[in-house]
Amino acid sequence: MPDTADILRLESLQVHFPIQGGLFDRVLGRPAGAVRAVDGINLNIGRGEIVALVGESGSGKTTVGRLITKLAQPTGGKMLFEGRDMTSVQGLSALRPYRHRVQMIFQDAYQALNPRHTVFDIVAEPLRSLRLVDNATQLADRVSEALASAGLNPPGDFFARFPHELSGGQRQRVVIAGALAVKPQLIVADEPVSMLDVSIRAQILQVLVELRKKHNMALLFITHDLPVAWLIADRIAVLYLGKLVEIGSADEITFNPRHPYTVALRNATPQIGANAGRAELPALQGEVPSAARVPKGCRFHPRCPVALDRCRQEEPPAIEVGPKHLAACWLADERPCST
Amino acid sequence: MTNPSQDKTPLLEVDELAVDYGLKGVSSRAIDCVSFALRAGEAVGLVGESGSGKTTTAMAIAGLLSPNARVSSGEVRYRGNRLPIDDDAAMRPHRWSETSVVFQGAMNALNPVHRILKQIAEPCMLKLRMSRSEATARARELLELVGIPADRGAAYPHELSGGMRQRVMIAMALACRPSIVIGDEPTTALDVITQAQILKLLGELRSQLNLALILITHDLSVVAEACDRVMIMYSGRIVEDGTVAEIFAQPKHPYTRLLIESIPNPASGKKMIRPIPGDPPNLVNRPSGCAFHPRCPSAMAVCATEVPSLDKFGQGHVACHLHRFSQKDRVAAHA
Amino acid sequence: MSESIAKYPHPGRTRAIKNFLRQFLGYGGAQLGLICLVFFLVMAALPNILVGPLQTAINATGDFLAPPSGDHLLGTDEVGRDVLNLVVHGARISLTIALLATLISLIVGTTVGMTAGYYGGRLDVWLMRLTDFFFVMPSFVLALVITPVVVEVIGRGQEILGFRPSLFVILVVIGMTSWAFVARIVRSQTLSLKERTFIDRARVVGSSNLSIMARHILPNLVPQIAANGALVVAGAIYVETSLSFLGLGDPLQPSWGTLLSLAQRAGAASAGAWWYLGAPGVCVLTVSLSFVLIGNALDDTFNPRRRVIP
Repeated sequence: MPDTADILRLESLQVHFPIQGGLFDRVLGRPAGAVRAVDGINLNIGRGEIVALVGESGSGKTTVGRLITKLAQPTGGKMLFEGRDMTSVQGLSALRPYRHRVQMIFQDAYQALNPRHTVFDIVAEPLRSLRLVDNATQLADRVSEALASAGLNPPGDFFARFPHELSGGQRQRVVIAGALAVKPQLIVADEPVSMLDVSIRAQILQVLVELRKKHNMALLFITHDLPVAWLIADRIAVLYLGKLVEIGSADEITFNPRHPYTVALRNATPQIGANAGRAELPALQGEVPSAARVPKGCRFHPRCPVALDRCRQEEPPAIEVGPKHLAACWLADERPCST
Repeated sequence: MTNPSQDKTPLLEVDELAVDYGLKGVSSRAIDCVSFALRAGEAVGLVGESGSGKTTTAMAIAGLLSPNARVSSGEVRYRGNRLPIDDDAAMRPHRWSETSVVFQGAMNALNPVHRILKQIAEPCMLKLRMSRSEATARARELLELVGIPADRGAAYPHELSGGMRQRVMIAMALACRPSIVIGDEPTTALDVITQAQILKLLGELRSQLNLALILITHDLSVVAEACDRVMIMYSGRIVEDGTVAEIFAQPKHPYTRLLIESIPNPASGKKMIRPIPGDPPNLVNRPSGCAFHPRCPSAMAVCATEVPSLDKFGQGHVACHLHRFSQKDRVAAHA
Repeated sequence: MSESIAKYPHPGRTRAIKNFLRQFLGYGGAQLGLICLVFFLVMAALPNILVGPLQTAINATGDFLAPPSGDHLLGTDEVGRDVLNLVVHGARISLTIALLATLISLIVGTTVGMTAGYYGGRLDVWLMRLTDFFFVMPSFVLALVITPVVVEVIGRGQEILGFRPSLFVILVVIGMTSWAFVARIVRSQTLSLKERTFIDRARVVGSSNLSIMARHILPNLVPQIAANGALVVAGAIYVETSLSFLGLGDPLQPSWGTLLSLAQRAGAASAGAWWYLGAPGVCVLTVSLSFVLIGNALDDTFNPRRRVIP
């Protein structure tokens, strides 16, 4: 298996939205700022690997997903898919082979499904638009297959249904089936379970895990929930204000976090039966600053309980703190955080 | 832990409460046989999925049921006196001054064109008959209480972050010095770190003001951190209640057990997913007997026909046939 | 299995349509509007069967300006023509012009509004300036200027698509001046639809812009277009009436507006011939009112929450 080769590589990928200065600013010659939504991300995803991208709202995690699925254009950096540079590829026909390989699952399945289309039409849409089938029989077979893989059995019962006639879990399964229909190699899942009932979440997570097992499909799982990331992912990448602050295996990040932000995130996550050993660091104050005013130096320093002078001046590079475990903190190699 | 055999009456008693919703001439039962008691200063979690009736229960207690809802049986007593929860006009003096609510969507619950100080002062003027200056002073005091500098009171809701808005909601809920605060998914829309801050604040306010707290949520782990007691609702009924320690260590109802097992828990070290099959039922297609029986791995023939009653079991209660039949021989209960 | 699946039925869609009809017909306004509309459509469809061929000054049968009687239910005009006959024949012209003008207006308005809203940017700015231009342009002035020119070029005797030139001009002018209203509504709706996740999904699964507009945006615009289309028809009838009243209509193909104009010129008001002015007047009022009622009922059906905010 060529698992050593990465399927996707992001190299210093960035999205800066320019801020339109007011007339005053322009007259006074003030420099127009930029919203640094994604600010230089290095990330690779191996074949059949599940990587979780964890961050709070405003961290830029959704934008990363939109960049990879080509719903947004980066303003800098590179994006390589199977070694090919996809950074500036645009246009329907040029993207067709890419869309065939990279698909997306959305957070709110109700919003992601056109209320006026039937389940059949929804799942058939990628097959039709990417011209992957020759005739109606083939189309129906592929749609059935995709619905069955997403756990909607028997598929024929769902063909003529409309999204509002389905339960929340079934709707998300339809979205998954739509992504699966083209047999992609990478699926970007943007918070696919956060809107679902607790008892349904595990069902959807199980569907995703089984897909990886069956089709060796890679998955970028975007979430705000550290325990869910730990459960599903091989590796976890923690995003803060447009930049990765820590990346490592799911167990390392969960049980041996080295960046103070990851530690804070873990400590803030409510858990059953884990009240002991929490008071390692004081709870974080304040909220994530705006991406239009990224702090100088380490972007986490204004909220960091252990910040040094150096953190206010210099941005820390990603340091290797363990096997395949990187943390962007000046203190990461000095202060091992035990669980 | 609170002692159940205290002699004084509980702060709030809910007794066999049932609420129906009328939709296009068809009436469907949202909650049925809901009974529990709440003591002063106690924090109780009300956990359930969508359609479990947790919000209906809370709105009934707060006297905020929607016009198409009807209380078909049972009653709610506050300090031993029956609350007229189905009478809009009679309920008015009780509302907000005894029980108040912190809603989920702070942006929707706040008026975007008024400064927050004014919005907090308003219930003080209306309910406590304060003058404008008294109410403003009280509002400033409340802002400080929830950790917002009083000078920020001049801000409009959109100028505040999600966490700050939720603090404003809490300040508004505290305006009339209620003894019970209901949090209706108060942290669901927030990030984890902000959620932790809000939960901490609620905990501090609870001990400072001796507030009783009813926390409605779908997230068992939030309850595990913030409450003393938990009630699990499924399809309109309480299926299990007990202390947090007891329920999470030894869940008795199969639904509770499966729910806990379906939450990823790094502390357990088990990277395993065991989903509950099927979907939670909605109001109109509720299964017969025990509503959970179609999804229950240990369902018996009786579960499809007979609704199990909520019986005392250990420190808490459980509504499951499995336990009624194995009452004498408890060893088999968790098999 | 695949064979039967390939042409699977649409029970969901039929149910949705049934539901819609039940709700729509539940509104009293919709019932009233539809009854009136059917009445006038029958009039427009079968004038010869109902009242015989269109009367002219030559084959007029009655006295001059006779009040309603057994022979002439709605009286006669100044040359002895039966007013009922004129009104029934007028229905065909008035309704045809109004409906065709609305069709033009909906097609142009939807295309412009959807394109502007979907693509955005500079195209949006230019299309919307164009829309504003047509928005403020008075139909009367445009029609007054264009009609004589077109009539001069084509000649009075010719017909365009079965219409005499002046009527055709009225038709086009109404269409060209009322689409801006539709374009504005369609654009704002497109802007909000564009932000919906299913549009993102359509892009991710490789749908072209054209297919996104045709398959995802347009079907979701239908409620707005239908509801506003009914209002545009009502407006078109008024404009047609006004233009014909000003004398731009064609006396050989009289519409209700032309009849009103003739009645005015014949001095019906001062002569006390209320039937002559009243009959076409009531028709115009009833038809446009019924379209407004239908439009409002459509709006309420598609969008029940809108009622909360008046």
